Amino acid sequence: MTSVVEGAVKKPPPTPRPSSFALLGSLLAVVLTVITAITVEFSFAELIENLTRRNLVVEGLLSPDVSQVWSDRSLRAFIETLQLAILGTATGGVVALPLAMWATDFGNPNTPLRVAVRTLNAVIRSIPDLLWALLFVTAVGIGVLPGLLALFFFSIAVVSKLTADTLDGVDRGPIEAALASGASVPQMLHTAVLPQILPAYSSFLLYGFELNLRASAVLGLVGAGGIGARIEFFRGRGEWSEVWGLVLMFFLVVFIVERVSVSVRRRLI
Amino acid sequence: MTRPSIPVKPADWVRRIGTAVVVVLVLWSLLGLDIKWERLIDLPADLWRVAVLMFGQMPFDETGTLIAALWESVSIAWLGTMIAAIFAIPLSFLAAENLVGRPIAWSMRQVFNVLRAVPEVILAIALIPIFGLTPMAGVLAIGIGSIGTLGKLFYEIAEGIQPGPIEAVDATGANRLQRLRWGVLPQLLPEYASFVLYRFEVNIRASAVMGLIGAGGIGNDVAQALRFKEFGTAGLGLLIIIVGTIAIDYLSGMVRKRIINGPGATGGSRMAAPAPITA
Repeated sequence: MTSVVEGAVKKPPPTPRPSSFALLGSLLAVVLTVITAITVEFSFAELIENLTRRNLVVEGLLSPDVSQVWSDRSLRAFIETLQLAILGTATGGVVALPLAMWATDFGNPNTPLRVAVRTLNAVIRSIPDLLWALLFVTAVGIGVLPGLLALFFFSIAVVSKLTADTLDGVDRGPIEAALASGASVPQMLHTAVLPQILPAYSSFLLYGFELNLRASAVLGLVGAGGIGARIEFFRGRGEWSEVWGLVLMFFLVVFIVERVSVSVRRRLI
Repeated sequence: MTRPSIPVKPADWVRRIGTAVVVVLVLWSLLGLDIKWERLIDLPADLWRVAVLMFGQMPFDETGTLIAALWESVSIAWLGTMIAAIFAIPLSFLAAENLVGRPIAWSMRQVFNVLRAVPEVILAIALIPIFGLTPMAGVLAIGIGSIGTLGKLFYEIAEGIQPGPIEAVDATGANRLQRLRWGVLPQLLPEYASFVLYRFEVNIRASAVMGLIGAGGIGNDVAQALRFKEFGTAGLGLLIIIVGTIAIDYLSGMVRKRIINGPGATGGSRMAAPAPITA
């Protein structure tokens, strides 16, 4: 008996070798890091020198000026930001629903058309919010309208993607039942699919609203209205205390909206 | 003889009130915004005009320069993501309730929440005066901005760790280091790697955007081109951004699938992270 146990102790199972995929992947990651560091001319010396140097930005952050947030113009900019986010989400979200449905095999039996819708969704998704804003500023000029249009497309991107993912997991039973009873595709979508995804879809709308609110802060940097325009104004004058005052106030608003939105979303699902 | 009647839907007051609130908010925004709505009539024509200017005659001899600029954006995103990951891993342990006490975990989570709330672009406008109009400003903005999201994802993974493998390693008489190596790390690393890649995909978009305000990369080229009304260059740049991000998403998505599902798996049964959305 003892010999068996001794034998087992003498010969432990071989240590599994790390997979070649993991090794290769790690190596690639290191190489990529080195190459990218060279590309952007990363240097610790410069980093430390720049961060320890006296600078107005950090001084402004340490003494943010919240008082001017209550000025008429800043308050109006805040309300504008909020309205932009609401309207952008509402309009974009409404368009996103059919776009998501037409990208599924049951919602759109026509394959070439389905591929076209999917491609459209992918293209809309690949353009970031600020780029949308810049494009619309170029097309229609500086103002609130390009901001709204940017958030409209940004909302389509977010909501259609999330809704499409939900549609992938929808129960096919009701769809077959509706089709068997002679429903047309729009009728089927309305009675068999919509009730299944409505709670998730509403929650995505709220999530899109949160993202839009954050995005609307930066739209103004390229001339598309909202609180970003105010931030850009003070930044241009180098008044960092005012910039940080606005940014802090903005985060307070975002924080409150997010709390409310998260609790509503939890109730929805 | 009467037809069976369809049961009446019970009234859902929460839904009705919610709908009413939404409608009021939308109307308030619609009426409150200072928009000349008649501009919308010209919009299709305006968009078509810009589209023709941008994509009508693209200067293809600038493709090389623009791809180099895209590579700079990708570099900014990658380096920023790596910096974020290096900081987020230790910090996330401080936010996991099963590793440290509740008070510490709670305070660390608040730090993550604050970092998550700050858009990278705001970080970039703060960093540009410090670092000048260089890619470094972009790298740091992405690095700092991603610590919050990665930290949150990482501590959720650390909290979801299974006790089984750790008990099994303990039962073989492993010491602390062996326990970490064989019981804990195999549970954490694949998920970490997958989320880092996912964040990289998101950050490519962020770094393309940050260039628009001068923090390096291809966004810089597009913004400059639009400013100087070189629409062809802007259009080509835009096209390169779209094709580039879609291609990198695809590659990165395949690697993520392989990391999570292991070798030989074909179905996308267990994807750790969703495909990125511009956030």
